[in-house]
Amino acid sequence: MKHVSLALAAASVLLAIDSAQAQETIRVGWTIPAEESKYWMMRRPQEFPDLGKKYKIEWSQFQGTSPMAQALAAGALDCATQGVLPIGQGMVNNSYQVYVVAQHVGERPGSFSVYWAVKDDSPIKTVADLKGKTVGISVIGGGTQGPFDLMLKKNGVDPSKDIKLVEVGFSLSEDALRSGRVDAVNMNQPFAARAEAKGGVRKLFALSEAVPNIVHIVEACRKDFVDKNPELVKAYVRDLTLGMKKATSNRAETLKVVNEVLKAPVEVLDTYLLKPNDFAREPGAAPNFAGIQAMFDTYAETGLLGKKLDASTLKHPTIVAPME
Amino acid sequence: MKRIADIPGFPPLMACIGLLVFWDLVARYLAISGLPPAWDALKEVPVILADPEQLLNILSSIRRMVIGFFAALVFAIPVGLLMGRSRAVAAFFNPLLMTIYPVPKAALMPIIMLWLGVGDVSKILVIFLGVSLPVIYHSYQGARAVEQKMLWSAAAMGMGAPARLLRIVLPAALPEIMVGCRTGLVLALITMVTSEMIARQSGVGNILFNSLDLAQYGLVYATILIIGVMGFVLDVLFEKLREAVAGWAQPVHQIAVGSA
Repeated sequence: MKHVSLALAAASVLLAIDSAQAQETIRVGWTIPAEESKYWMMRRPQEFPDLGKKYKIEWSQFQGTSPMAQALAAGALDCATQGVLPIGQGMVNNSYQVYVVAQHVGERPGSFSVYWAVKDDSPIKTVADLKGKTVGISVIGGGTQGPFDLMLKKNGVDPSKDIKLVEVGFSLSEDALRSGRVDAVNMNQPFAARAEAKGGVRKLFALSEAVPNIVHIVEACRKDFVDKNPELVKAYVRDLTLGMKKATSNRAETLKVVNEVLKAPVEVLDTYLLKPNDFAREPGAAPNFAGIQAMFDTYAETGLLGKKLDASTLKHPTIVAPME
Repeated sequence: MKRIADIPGFPPLMACIGLLVFWDLVARYLAISGLPPAWDALKEVPVILADPEQLLNILSSIRRMVIGFFAALVFAIPVGLLMGRSRAVAAFFNPLLMTIYPVPKAALMPIIMLWLGVGDVSKILVIFLGVSLPVIYHSYQGARAVEQKMLWSAAAMGMGAPARLLRIVLPAALPEIMVGCRTGLVLALITMVTSEMIARQSGVGNILFNSLDLAQYGLVYATILIIGVMGFVLDVLFEKLREAVAGWAQPVHQIAVGSA
């Protein structure tokens, strides 16, 4: 009997230790590109006093934000990079509820804005000229389609009837345009910088003309996880804030960090990364909730979201970047 | 006098060189960024192999592949043999396997990820599923082909059912099982890569899919070449193993890739 009691006590201690260890680890999803604060945390952990000591991160790389939304919904991740559209869809379907705790990149006046390009010699001069043409978009039904649809509608083009919309990943955009497989295609960095350097293409319109200050990717954490582990998420958000500060204040080192993660040559990254032709990073990684609200409204207006949503519900009262 | 084509390894080597030359010429003629010349891709191979981080990525994938492959063999060979010798077992498993067989295993990845998370277990399970089915099928066929008279004779001499399965059915079915294992090995390599398409912590997918996302096509094709060479080497090694354990039987199917 004594042995059984001892065994039970030992098991309880082990379970308690295991549970404590489990609470110290946060499972985070990430993707490429444009998450410099996370890349700093992954590659320069020694620069973050709490990371690896007070808490640990289990990093998983994903191919885009959509599978991360599924993983968050399934409870396989605690926090992950998210676009505004998947967050909205999760809210509409009630499949998962998140807090937006930080922002990675967005747009603001003067920064890079995702744009649609045509060939220099193309007869397409205005958005209205897209009628009857084949137009490429990175993901049909993805985050950029709402502002894109809105822009077309503003110019008298029905996106569902007047154009042939085809899916062309950003990395293949330039080839698709130059080879004539599409008449217009969306461009993102670093491919836009490369295409511009080569010449022969011109900008037709940018998303910022449809919706200003677009929010591209944010850091979202499951509400149930945040409510259960507030101190752990606070430590994580503090490091995201610090990571963003390091990324924006030390461009030379950031180029090295991003090169280590992306394996893209520094010369390529140097053409755009953290330059005026790059996306905007908010100081301290603060989420632009007004921008998220504008995007929710755009998605609702263009039918990508079934109903209007309130972005303020995504904000935790205390756990949100910037956090010192 | 020995013909040049009889020199071991010469014909496959010439085929590889021919393919690389053809690829290089076509790529230079088409001049599209999505298809770099073969030489440009070959130049990236040592870059990948000299990077310790990338080597760890490749080793991480191989580790999952080995675990998935051997776990599949441990499961699939007994199931296949039992199906071959028992109508009841065959009737139970056959419809199940016929339903699962045509499903692309990588397509199950998002669902498996929801059940088992994004770690190694879900990837190993995809590899396990990819390898199990051909091994079960070939073990089943091998066990079915065993002469009934041999089993009757063994039973008459007092050998029990488990011993008959182990000492008569298994050795007799070995050549066919090895064919299944060889097919399974190729599928293990394929599913090793596809299992990393959606989510990964480490692996060859880190090189392949990141390069693809960033249009670093030289690296993409170099990674494909490395995976291809891995497949070739594994096939050659497996053929040596087959010769060692079932050399008494001619290969049931001449699907030699790496054997010269």
